Amino acid sequence: MRPGRLIGKTVLAFAGFMAVFPLLWTALNSLKNNVDIITRVPRVVFTPTLANISYILGRDSVMTGLYNSMVACGVAVLIGIVLGLPAAYAVARYPNRWAGDIQFFVLSLRFLPPVAVAIPLMVIWLQFGLYDTLAALIVTYSLLTISVIMWLAIPAFQAVPKEVEEAAFVDGYGAYSVFWKIALPVAARSLIGAVAFSFVLVWNEFLIALMLSSSNAKTLPIVASELSQQGMNVPWGILNASVVLLSLPPLLFLGVLSGFLNSVFRQKKT
Amino acid sequence: MPRRSSLPVTFVVPTLLILLVLSMVPTLYAIIIALQNRELSSPDYSYVWFSNFADLFFDRRFLNAVWVSVKWEFVTVIATMAVAIGLGVLMFEVASPRLRNVYCLLFIIPVLLPRVSAAFVWKFAYHPLYGIATYPYRLLTGGLIFDPLSKPSTALFAVASVDVWQWGLFFAVIVLKLLETLPPQPIEAARLDHAKRWQIHAYVTLPMLKAPLISLMFVKMIESLRSFDLIYVMTRGGPGVATETLDMYAFSQGFIESGKVSYASAMAVLMMIATVITFTMLWKRVQS
Repeated sequence: MRPGRLIGKTVLAFAGFMAVFPLLWTALNSLKNNVDIITRVPRVVFTPTLANISYILGRDSVMTGLYNSMVACGVAVLIGIVLGLPAAYAVARYPNRWAGDIQFFVLSLRFLPPVAVAIPLMVIWLQFGLYDTLAALIVTYSLLTISVIMWLAIPAFQAVPKEVEEAAFVDGYGAYSVFWKIALPVAARSLIGAVAFSFVLVWNEFLIALMLSSSNAKTLPIVASELSQQGMNVPWGILNASVVLLSLPPLLFLGVLSGFLNSVFRQKKT
Repeated sequence: MPRRSSLPVTFVVPTLLILLVLSMVPTLYAIIIALQNRELSSPDYSYVWFSNFADLFFDRRFLNAVWVSVKWEFVTVIATMAVAIGLGVLMFEVASPRLRNVYCLLFIIPVLLPRVSAAFVWKFAYHPLYGIATYPYRLLTGGLIFDPLSKPSTALFAVASVDVWQWGLFFAVIVLKLLETLPPQPIEAARLDHAKRWQIHAYVTLPMLKAPLISLMFVKMIESLRSFDLIYVMTRGGPGVATETLDMYAFSQGFIESGKVSYASAMAVLMMIATVITFTMLWKRVQS
């Protein structure tokens, strides 16, 4: 058994290393001059430079992309919260014969291939004169955020003990104030996880943003992917810096999302 | 709970109406466009009914894209599940609770990355001359060049490895959490019967987790269809058409090469019909 355990631990340690090393290497490369990146033998010791990062942060296209991403994702998530959370609560707490169908409908939105949605939307937004605007992106992303938030919030609301809500009804609360003052605060931790998850999904979205924007409404992933096409002389350091910038916002939610996973699976136990 | 309240109606109906409009309008419109002969370059169009669909079946690049997509689904889903179950069981067996938490945090990181970022990270790593992932090969062979992304035989697997890196590690965390929720008695009983550790998992724990594992696989099958960003950044469907999946081909027909929006839409509609039918049937079977 001993050697088996040792091998198992080694494999795990290697997997843990593989999980973060490529990203750390990219972060390291973003601090290098091109000469230190383009080497046959990877260089660990080098004179660090902030030139790549300041170049990225100083570019108008990157700043516009960052702004567009933040506005489009922020507003879409807000719409997702306002429309998705109440709907999820109603499905979770007022079961009727449609509840199963509603849940399946919400899930089935995820089956739709993004190309199949993006092509007609491009034609539609062109006709409305809204092509390449943030408004078009926000409306399209709302479909994603509402459905994801609903899908994850239904179990979160179901996990709220019914007795707590019933006690509030006995105290004379109405249905709406039970939602506001009891269900929302009690389920808050899981709900924040659901919202964070939907934010990460739209922040990472690429194909729809690529097809629905041409210059004004480009989001950060599109800008980052275009940096790689600047001629023959690939600006490796700059590209690495843009990858790091693009990856930071989702990583900020690492703690929230792992807490969310923990709470989801603890509920299953009972 | 009070029987008579307006809450369910006011909370559900507006949201569902908005979801219905946002999903049905593009879906129906995709079908309408697929029956026309729209092109990006000209505003004129007319109805050609099913000729786009008929053309598809004689388009060898389309048939290739179908085949690549099928290969992609199989490779990524199977590899993801293998990695997830392998690492999940390993964590359960050899890692202390504190170490488990550390691994869980580390394993979630790749899946949080935007696919564009993940694709770039690995595109650098696979660079034949300067990449960190190809460095061991250069070191061992004394400087020979290994270029996985531009060889037709390895390109698909090189891109798939990034997908598995993102999802396999993340699913390992979920498999571990599932194992932790199992009641300990059956495992102890098997141990008393002198079952080996791998036997305990193969015959006791994993069969007990059959339903959630199938659901996980189902989620991965859906997510695997969204591989566009990875392929777009890493290979653009190349070398040749070795990694050209259906969405990549639809995109290049519609927007890069010829601007045949209707032709691309016909492809997307076929894809939509296939996925909706397959996944609805699978879902109903998983549920029952």
